[in-house]
Amino acid sequence: MNSGSSKSTCSGRRNVVTVGLALAAAGIGLAACSSSPSNSATAGTTGGKVPLVVYSAQGYDKVETQAFQQATGIPVQLDDDSTGPLVTKIQAEKNNPKWGLLWVDGATVFASLDSQGMLVKNWEPSVSWDSTGQQSVPKDGSYIPTGLTMACAIVYDSSKVTNPPTTWNDLLQPQWKNEIGMNDPSVSGPTYPCVAGLMNSMGGVNQGENFLTQLQSNGLDVHETNGDTLQALEVGQIHIAMIQSSAEIGATLKGNSNLKVEYPTPVTALPSAIGIDAKAPATEIAEAKKFVSFVLSSQGQQVMQSGDPHGDSLYWPVINGVSPLPALPPLGSLPVQTIDPYTWGSREATINTWFTNNIA
Amino acid sequence: MAQSTYPLTLDTGQTGETHRKSAPGFGRGAVRLLRRFNLSTVVVIGALLFLIILPVGAFLIQGVSPRPFSQGTSWFTLGSLSQALSGATLRGFTDSIGVSAATSIIAFVLATGLAWLVSRTNVFGRRIWTLGIWALLLMPTYLMANGWQYLLEPAGVMQRLGLPLSFLYHLVFGPAGVVLVLTMAGLPFAYLTMLAAFNGLGQEFEDAAKVHGANRYQTVKAVLPILAPAVYSSLAIVFAESMSDFGVSFTLAHQSHFPMATFGLFAAIDTNPSNFGVAAILGWFLVLAAAIPIAIQARALRGRSYAVLSGRTRTPKRKELAPRARWGATACVSVLFIVALGIPIFGAVAASLLNNFGVGMSASHAFTLANYRQALTSSNFLSPILLSNRLSALTATFGVVLALFMAKMISSKGSSRFAKLVDLALLGSMALPGIVLAAGYIFAFNLPIASKLGVDFYETLPLLLMGYIATVLPSQSRLLMGPISQVKESLLEACRVHGHGIVKSWIKTVLPVLSRVLMWGWLYTFAKTLVELPVSQILYPPGNEPVSVAIENLTGNYHYAIGTALTVVTLIEMFGVIGIVLLAFRIFAPKGWQRIGGVTGAA
Repeated sequence: MNSGSSKSTCSGRRNVVTVGLALAAAGIGLAACSSSPSNSATAGTTGGKVPLVVYSAQGYDKVETQAFQQATGIPVQLDDDSTGPLVTKIQAEKNNPKWGLLWVDGATVFASLDSQGMLVKNWEPSVSWDSTGQQSVPKDGSYIPTGLTMACAIVYDSSKVTNPPTTWNDLLQPQWKNEIGMNDPSVSGPTYPCVAGLMNSMGGVNQGENFLTQLQSNGLDVHETNGDTLQALEVGQIHIAMIQSSAEIGATLKGNSNLKVEYPTPVTALPSAIGIDAKAPATEIAEAKKFVSFVLSSQGQQVMQSGDPHGDSLYWPVINGVSPLPALPPLGSLPVQTIDPYTWGSREATINTWFTNNIA
Repeated sequence: MAQSTYPLTLDTGQTGETHRKSAPGFGRGAVRLLRRFNLSTVVVIGALLFLIILPVGAFLIQGVSPRPFSQGTSWFTLGSLSQALSGATLRGFTDSIGVSAATSIIAFVLATGLAWLVSRTNVFGRRIWTLGIWALLLMPTYLMANGWQYLLEPAGVMQRLGLPLSFLYHLVFGPAGVVLVLTMAGLPFAYLTMLAAFNGLGQEFEDAAKVHGANRYQTVKAVLPILAPAVYSSLAIVFAESMSDFGVSFTLAHQSHFPMATFGLFAAIDTNPSNFGVAAILGWFLVLAAAIPIAIQARALRGRSYAVLSGRTRTPKRKELAPRARWGATACVSVLFIVALGIPIFGAVAASLLNNFGVGMSASHAFTLANYRQALTSSNFLSPILLSNRLSALTATFGVVLALFMAKMISSKGSSRFAKLVDLALLGSMALPGIVLAAGYIFAFNLPIASKLGVDFYETLPLLLMGYIATVLPSQSRLLMGPISQVKESLLEACRVHGHGIVKSWIKTVLPVLSRVLMWGWLYTFAKTLVELPVSQILYPPGNEPVSVAIENLTGNYHYAIGTALTVVTLIEMFGVIGIVLLAFRIFAPKGWQRIGGVTGAA
């Protein structure tokens, strides 16, 4: 009797444990699925449409993707982050890609992805490029320019800096010790082209590394992104910053009349661009192409120019019929250099690692 | 070796040698082996393997052997180790060791003083300080760091109020600030350990020392060795907590250019170019740095007897402090809690009420509710809160249920070898920092083999939820083991004898006994998950930011208006939910449920 009862209880206990675990496991699955309304809304296909996964570091990406979704009905899943983490994610996903298109600043990133066969090639939207656009379109059509900024210029606090540096080498003067800041190229998209541009103009990687090493000895303050470096400038931690032109001009428009921008010779052209994942499903590739065409349409350009008025919206357009915002100086008045994205793109990992280990 | 082949030999009655020669024999043996376990054991082990052991193991292994997962060509290499032992990663690791050592010692000293005052003296506000400790336990380190930052940074709250305090800024934005925040975060662990020791230490030891003519110093010297287990535990736990903390290294330390190990791991997988090999080596360092002190503590205590509790243990006498000493002690404790909780909370609240906060000193600034008005109309505000609430409720519910079954399995009488193995795995997993677990998930669930097996969870909410559950499962299971093992089987059996089914019997007999501990387990998990950072930061899917990530992204991008308002609302909500659940339990739970069970000190 006793043993029977004990056996029955024991078996019952096992049943409870089993049933409980099964319920919990099933519950987790169900709950997890039901707990992602934004995902599930975009995860399923809607009338032959699949979610377009947009990896972007642009300040106006949220409003642009919303406008696109509204105009086309194509669901968009946006991952907004800095360029470094996005590119890292794409590299990590190489064998199992999740992204549909990448929209960041800097042709070098796309040249590097193109060299690895990760981008859709030989496609161009039917738009009327202006001369800047024509120069920015790659020969193999592996990425599409959407605008142009300068990878880095100098922004300074004129209340503290009365005689600002006008050349890059001026930054090495002892009077600027502990007063200069810049971004980390392993995180910030525009900063690798800035570093590559400095190296290019100074005669090569070694000369550029020598310059940056001296700059570091002069107290260079490295932050992650434009926002961090600008914040350091605005609160007086540094007095001079080497960051992207759009962020610099935007800062001057925010109400701090002491901030001024200087364009030393040369400043490096930085096209913002879109690349499409070559391994994405055909439907998603087609949607990505529609997205590119939308961005370069007059409606899309309007959204780009209004979406981030103190930041990325301050770009020089690359198609005819669209004028830059009034705060931008004429592009022709700037000492612009263009670097070969394929030459410098292949060096990005090595130079970023060197920067992390020696400068940051 | 003999142990590893034992089950196979036992079940088949044949030697391992015979098995290797005969495939069908092996198949039968495997089937019989599986039959030895009931389904629940298989599910528990499967859950542990799937949630913790396989993803983290795969990630850590490729630090020295990248080839098995197609991450390189070498079966064995020390390349990643050599990279990790140089430059910023090495400095981060040594910084973390130094900070953790300092933190564990300072937290121990402060916690011992506090525990003594609360348990052994008539210091004012003893209940308030106990509540304060629990609040501190729930407070995430990144929010504490953010609070200090809002307060002291240039153009921060103090400067806006006309008190620049630049000397404090330079002090806090550096190693001293990191130690300060981590010490306050470690304080509850050290306090609860020392409090339990003081409560268990009867008055007779102090009396015996005094009878032998010991003065105050000599009494302390005589009694202190009895507290050795608590001292070792306090030091080991706070050291391990500080080593594995991500919140401060991601915020205050990083902004102060003070690299730490957990941020080094994050940077290795999040910056361009990524380096999973170096990240894995840092993962090894972090796991060992958390596990070694705990192992040393266990070894140091082995073979010695510290048993002081008995039926004759006398309740210690509460020391009546003289009025001046009583007020002095109360003032000291107040200052401690002001530094630990008051200043960070004040920093966050004040920043959320300032106009143009974070835009520099040139912009106009006045107290306003505009930040909250702006926040409430922004989609950046509500969706992260709703998402985190949903995920936290799910994590707490399923985490507690799974932990309950795991605890039941481990604590059952005559538990199997596998139950002991599960226990060991859970114990080991407690030393696993969240950042290592999350990195393991990113690595393992993105492998092509995962997709081929149909486990396509990478960048989805289910993966984030799994990460949360895996984070809480070890500690929750261990927490529930004690109460579960105290529940007598006869309770359930008696109910069944009266004709009730197993589920109804469990609800009528076991649930009332465990109701309080389950509620506390649920609440603790809910609150910790709501503000969890490392797993959220690494595993959140695009477009689905949990509240911790949203706060860091907003403040990191200088959208202080919404960011600071979101911080304050999240904290209010976290403590509000705890208050509401406790109130509901008091109102709706049967009186019997409220009288029995529970966690000592938690109620």
